Amino acid sequence: MNIVLTLWRFIIEFLTVNAKPLLQIIVLPGLLWVIVYAIIAVWFERKFLARAMLRVGPYYCGGRFGWLQLIADFIKLFFKEMIIPKDVNTFFFLLMPVLLPSVPAMAVILIPFASDWVLWNVGSLGMPMFFAIAGIAPLVPIFTGWASNNKYTFIGAWRVAYMYISAEIPMVICAASVAIMVGSFDLVVIARAQEKMWFFIPQFIGFVIFFLGVMIESERTPFDMPGAETELVLGWRTEYSGVLYGFVMFTEYVMLQAWALMFLTLYLGGFNGPVFFGATTASHIFWLVIKFVLLVTLVILLRVVFPRLRMDQMLKLGWQYLTPLALLNLVVTLVLKLWGVY
Amino acid sequence: MTEPVIVPDIMRMSWGPQHPMSGQTRILLDIDGEKVHRIIADLGFTHRGIEKILENRTFLQGIIPVERMVMADTPNIGLGYVTAIEEALGIEVPERANWIRSMICEMARINSHLYAFGLQAESTGYFPAVFLWTTVDRTIILRLFEELTGARWSLNFFMPGGVHKDLPKGFEEKVIEGVEYLRRRFEEYWVAMVENATFELRCDNVGVLKPEDAIRLGATGPVLRGSGIPIDVRKDEPYAAYGDLDFEVITESACDSMARTKVRYREIGQSLNIMEQVANEIPSGPIRTNVPLFARAKAAEVLSRVESSRGELGVHLFTDGGMNPYRVKIHSPTLRNMYVFERLAELDEILVADIPVLINSIDPWYLDSDR
Repeated sequence: MNIVLTLWRFIIEFLTVNAKPLLQIIVLPGLLWVIVYAIIAVWFERKFLARAMLRVGPYYCGGRFGWLQLIADFIKLFFKEMIIPKDVNTFFFLLMPVLLPSVPAMAVILIPFASDWVLWNVGSLGMPMFFAIAGIAPLVPIFTGWASNNKYTFIGAWRVAYMYISAEIPMVICAASVAIMVGSFDLVVIARAQEKMWFFIPQFIGFVIFFLGVMIESERTPFDMPGAETELVLGWRTEYSGVLYGFVMFTEYVMLQAWALMFLTLYLGGFNGPVFFGATTASHIFWLVIKFVLLVTLVILLRVVFPRLRMDQMLKLGWQYLTPLALLNLVVTLVLKLWGVY
Repeated sequence: MTEPVIVPDIMRMSWGPQHPMSGQTRILLDIDGEKVHRIIADLGFTHRGIEKILENRTFLQGIIPVERMVMADTPNIGLGYVTAIEEALGIEVPERANWIRSMICEMARINSHLYAFGLQAESTGYFPAVFLWTTVDRTIILRLFEELTGARWSLNFFMPGGVHKDLPKGFEEKVIEGVEYLRRRFEEYWVAMVENATFELRCDNVGVLKPEDAIRLGATGPVLRGSGIPIDVRKDEPYAAYGDLDFEVITESACDSMARTKVRYREIGQSLNIMEQVANEIPSGPIRTNVPLFARAKAAEVLSRVESSRGELGVHLFTDGGMNPYRVKIHSPTLRNMYVFERLAELDEILVADIPVLINSIDPWYLDSDR
């Protein structure tokens, strides 16, 4: 009996202390989570959007719910012929699909899933580091569009450049207001500070701007101009085929994941929520995942309601409304901070 | 087509024929960044020589190939050809047949406008939601067609001297039922699509076609009426039973893509009214005057005009006393509207993203323009 108990304690200790980094890399913010999430999100998008369009969606592969369809599609993409057009810059053309999902996935490792469950805890560098990594992300589509040597991809790439810049500046300003309010760049501290009140109440303008930013950064409708299929076929993704296309489409969801997690951490209380059975870490992870699922569902379902904006309207939104509003929010936050309200 | 020379510093982009939204045509765009300087429509990808085929068919046989011009709108095209034959042969049509013809033509107009309406939604990236809703609603019309004629798309129901069959028993009630269902649905479309703020952003003030330009360039159909000019063959030169029916010519004064979409939307309402009127007030009587199977026409030249869903369709028929037409020339509405589309870049500032919105506000059917 004593031996069993000791063994049990040893396993628990091994899992929580020694194997924790390994678990984090392989399971939660790491590989498995990213892949499983992307698969479920794609399935959800296909099945539930189909209902909004009076269709059934994937039906035959994997029964009524079509759950096997995505695995079948993945296998199909994997074994399809990979067409590399004659005039492309082969090095960049082949390199970029690998970089595409890995850059936003790199940003995910900075997000605290619980107060003691951060894969790469950089302390007070957390938020600047996130924006630095996320700032690299738009470069990759630009390179992709250029390397593909196609007119559609070229226009798509420049749309990416315009769009990301006009969205990221107000987003960074909004995040800065939150950091000023808390007095720290540390994402764990920011999440902890929301135990009593989530920041979407005191920072409501920032909340709205950052939400729009999440939609823009992950190229969701109504902000999917870089891949507008009615104009540009698939935008900067046009020339990809086979498994590279799989990587490229996967990126969209990883990008959404990175920004959505940041959004939750900044405005919707991050990992905060009622603790079950004293298991703090587990319930924190549970709450963040639940919030994340709800947010992604909302973002995906918004696609049914909105047509796509035009590029000039998008830029107008970014520079004429979001940026001044974000600056206003920053000023108000600063004033309130100096008065000692926060 | 010999391609026009490219101006320096301008990129020429090909929009179609291999493109998710283009259909069977190629449109060349001279662009500078996002701005479109010039639109060059390269038609003729689906030329099938329908006019030539008609020369080798008897008058009755010709109805079948001519309806293939616009599959969404077969009765209107067929009626254009049939009325031309009737004029050449000097045949009178019974009143009841005329009323049935009008009803079928209006049903086809609803079918075709629903398609255009859904495509307009899809072109703004209102991803297939509305397009599939309209597709589902079109089955109401198609089922009525099927019950009446046995076919869902290519009806071949009109023949010189009248229509092929009388209305089946209880058909009028089914028509009224369908009309009521569609009216309910259209209220939803108005809220979900036409009043959608983002859709308004995309369509308002895009591709403004002033009335004088519309007349100068020879626009027709909803494009012309979207520019505020009330020209409709059904009113100006009533054919079939349109002289006895009560309907309005719809116009919009905004002259932009949204106006053209709204014209289609409101025209569907008028078509539903006409369907209801015919179902309630159709006179009784014969449905066909007998015409010999291999009728010979005297040497003559006739022109018939009908208002198809895309605009005015003219059939110019020459006969030389034989059993076949000597020559048929069809003025197709899409071809006329494509000229307008080509000039829109000069008339108004257009961006690349406006191209799908514009082309679907014209509502082209390339098989129609290429014949």
